[in-house]
Amino acid sequence: MAAGMMYQSGPSRFQSTANMGGDDWLTAEHMTGTSIMAVEFADGVVIGADSRTTTGAYIANRVTDKLTPIHDRIFCCRSGSAAATQAVADVVAYHLNFHSIEMGEPPLVQTAANLFKEICYNNRDDLTAGIICAGWDEREGGQVYTIPLGGMLVRQPFSIGGSGSTYIYGYVDAAFKKGMTKEECLKFTAHSLALAMNRDGSSGGVVRLAAITKDSVERHVILGNELPRFYEG
Amino acid sequence: MSIMSYNGSAIVAMKGKDCVAIAADRRFGIQAQTVSMDFQKIFEMAPQLFLGLPGLGTDVQTVSNRLKFRLNLYTLRENRQIKPKTFMSMVSNLLYERRFGPYFVEPIIAGLDPTTSEPFVCSLDLIGCPMEPEDFVVAGTSSEQLYGMCESLWQPNMEPDELFECISQSLLNAVDRDALAGWGAVVHIIEKDKVTTRTLKARMD
Repeated sequence: MAAGMMYQSGPSRFQSTANMGGDDWLTAEHMTGTSIMAVEFADGVVIGADSRTTTGAYIANRVTDKLTPIHDRIFCCRSGSAAATQAVADVVAYHLNFHSIEMGEPPLVQTAANLFKEICYNNRDDLTAGIICAGWDEREGGQVYTIPLGGMLVRQPFSIGGSGSTYIYGYVDAAFKKGMTKEECLKFTAHSLALAMNRDGSSGGVVRLAAITKDSVERHVILGNELPRFYEG
Repeated sequence: MSIMSYNGSAIVAMKGKDCVAIAADRRFGIQAQTVSMDFQKIFEMAPQLFLGLPGLGTDVQTVSNRLKFRLNLYTLRENRQIKPKTFMSMVSNLLYERRFGPYFVEPIIAGLDPTTSEPFVCSLDLIGCPMEPEDFVVAGTSSEQLYGMCESLWQPNMEPDELFECISQSLLNAVDRDALAGWGAVVHIIEKDKVTTRTLKARMD
């Protein structure tokens, strides 16, 4: 067993000896464990995420920004491998920018979502990326598209994702109402993410929100002590 | 995944001037999921002797119960309170009895000698190797973070109020960098004539 390990090249040899005694953080990939969410409303979308990046159990970044701009009025929420999602978002942003210059008009959210899907589906065996693509365009207004692990694409009135989302399926199903205003959507997102961060070890830090409409992108941050508090027992 | 990091915990104890302090987080989780935020990890073994148990939750409860049983018999036979150093040996013995199938806990003891009131802290590994330093001891999934915080903040001969601030800040900031510990904190300050217990307002993430 030990002799076999010596012949492996570079990184894997380091991994096999460095992992003795459970020092996960030396070798583990950066993961955005995460709770992410996006909600459509009449004039646009509200998106939100926590701010924790972990390497194993170590919190590598506690103020991460997981809401990444893809174009002026199109954002994505990233969950899964930090490296994979950053790389995919960069590629999509490049292609979308090029496409928008060619067409001479702002791109459709559906186009951005499809670009994400192409990459995530065709490279599904090599990627761990769960992405929610949301934004506003002239044709359809506010839209939310979810692209989970295997690379499927589906539009939803609201979407939750990341490891923390499993704890709030019941809450969001009970609390969601059609025809919410921007403020109601912001509150719904903040409450949901706070609950998820409370239960999920891989989610935490601050809640980052963004409201995307025709006119602007408003970004908010809710700090730890300002978060809504629930049952703590 | 390591058995020692299955449930998650952070415990720290420090020596002060004629006092000791011991503090722990309150999370009980199953890997990434937090199940409850009021899990007891510090146990009062005697009026001025506290035991902190980080590690696997089931063993935290089993070891504290079995140790209390042995300690009760000791107290009845000896007809006096046990000395902290003797208690350390008792813990070491209980753990080494299970040398080849150990309890997955790494105990921390903090207390004052019942007669001289001299401060005492120590820690043991999961098979009972005791370590009695002059300053502080740390254990749990956040132990590396705790080492960093304690090494920076601890000074010798701190009064009880200073010691409380020091141990609280060490624990709070260490668990903020650990995904498996936190969700509340409890601190005990043990002085010659009283024990003050405080729960800290902490990040619940």
